[in-house]
Amino acid sequence: MLFGSPAIHAVEVITNITADTASITTTQLRRIYSMRQVRWANGVPITIFVLSSTSEIHQKFCKETLRLFPYQLDRIWDKLTFSGMGVGPTLVTSEKELIKAVKSTTGAIGYIENIDEVSDVNLLKIDE
Amino acid sequence: MSICLKSMNKMIYKLICVSALIAFNTIAQEGHSAEPFKIHGFVAQGVIDVNGSNFVNNDGELSLELTEIGLNTSYKFADDFRFAAQAVYLNGGNRYNDGLRVDYFLMDWNAYSSEKWQANLFVGRIKNTHWLHSSTRDIPFARPSIILPQGAYFDGFRDIAVGGDGAALKLTYNNDEYGEFDFSFSRSKSPIDSDDAEVILSKLAQGNIEHDLDSQASVYWRPVFSQWKFGLTLLDSEFNYEGETLDFFVDGNFVFQFYTFNAVYEGENWGFTTELLQTRFLTDGFYAPQFNQDNLGQGGSFQTTYKVDHKLTLIGRYEKFYSDKDDKNGYKLEERNFGIVPNYFGYQHDTMVGLSYNFADNVRVNAEYHWMEGAARLNPIVLPNPTINNKEQWNMWAVQLMYWF
Repeated sequence: MLFGSPAIHAVEVITNITADTASITTTQLRRIYSMRQVRWANGVPITIFVLSSTSEIHQKFCKETLRLFPYQLDRIWDKLTFSGMGVGPTLVTSEKELIKAVKSTTGAIGYIENIDEVSDVNLLKIDE
Repeated sequence: MSICLKSMNKMIYKLICVSALIAFNTIAQEGHSAEPFKIHGFVAQGVIDVNGSNFVNNDGELSLELTEIGLNTSYKFADDFRFAAQAVYLNGGNRYNDGLRVDYFLMDWNAYSSEKWQANLFVGRIKNTHWLHSSTRDIPFARPSIILPQGAYFDGFRDIAVGGDGAALKLTYNNDEYGEFDFSFSRSKSPIDSDDAEVILSKLAQGNIEHDLDSQASVYWRPVFSQWKFGLTLLDSEFNYEGETLDFFVDGNFVFQFYTFNAVYEGENWGFTTELLQTRFLTDGFYAPQFNQDNLGQGGSFQTTYKVDHKLTLIGRYEKFYSDKDDKNGYKLEERNFGIVPNYFGYQHDTMVGLSYNFADNVRVNAEYHWMEGAARLNPIVLPNPTINNKEQWNMWAVQLMYWF
């Protein structure tokens, strides 16, 4: 890293401690964010928190971690929400709010860029 | 006087819908934590101008009959049970009957859930989720264009095709090697009132039309990490018409079968969609006691989109539809009707270009222009109106502004 340049963070995936998992595969993450897996292995229901689809972190998470384009997830969520066949994720307005929501919601999952001040959540290792 | 009252009713409907949307939008904004109760909605108003057909109105004037308002809720009342409902107000001129509708009102039971499998049973008024755009055809921001390809998404059949009262089963399966699979099966019956019958059958029909329980099935497959998705859908439905004593039509029975294959590519900038269809339309009676007809229709559309940036998307689409594959130029149709119905009522082709521009995360404008050829998908479909639709070539443009939350 060049001296004096801003720190570049990768997007990290965090969960509420009740999710009881230390690692996750990319395909499993895609399943969760596509609403195709709604419970953790221990049976706890999954609650998803996301930032706006135009936010830089969300775009980075979709493209680099999920290997999906943000509009693909928007399509899936809109279709579920407006056909009555499912529920989309919960939108939060900032990274700080997302961390707070993941900490306090059973089975929650989210993503953040800055993990420096995060505690009391699971930081997931992502396997290919 | 009655026209004046009808206009007032439309205004009142719109005002009630917009007021409800504003109120619920505020509630939705306040309660964006992961609570079991969720509210979403949308409002869209457009302007549409059709020259050379009665697709929207009979006078060919510029029209504001392009209104779509919707409000939905979802309430998870137990771990595996959820209630969901949506009401919509639609006004599309001659395209379908204008007014309020209960779009869906259902109970969702998540019967089985694992990392690989999910099984959900939906009971109540369910929405047709089988075709590529069937569940989002009225959701302005979730469909590709203001006017969808009429071969598959004929607006005259909107209220019958959009869903019905019954049940649906959805199975999703995830395989790390072969990809994602969705299987759906539903049986439902659409309520058809006299206004719907008038749109489809014409004002001359005095009797009642009833929809029997239809059967629908679909399967979708997305290979692992693929940008492609493929789908197959099947529909089998039956309708019975019971004529009145003084009626232009007699008792009749219609069977409508519909099969589609679709493929979708979702790239970073480019998107491709194709949907091929075959329809079987059997008519027994209705026009005359001994009348019998069995038509196989065919059609398809190819659509491409290009995302210039995260705000601007360009779209182009070409569609062909023949109501009888053995009479593609419509000459047999013209002959059968002693020349009263011109041959161009046997097909309808559409060439479209358009764009969509996002002003914000949830505010968008769509604009498009269509060059049309033929009149096979103009209401009322069972009794063509060649007096108004006296041109083989016609065109239209539309601009629609939409907001959703």
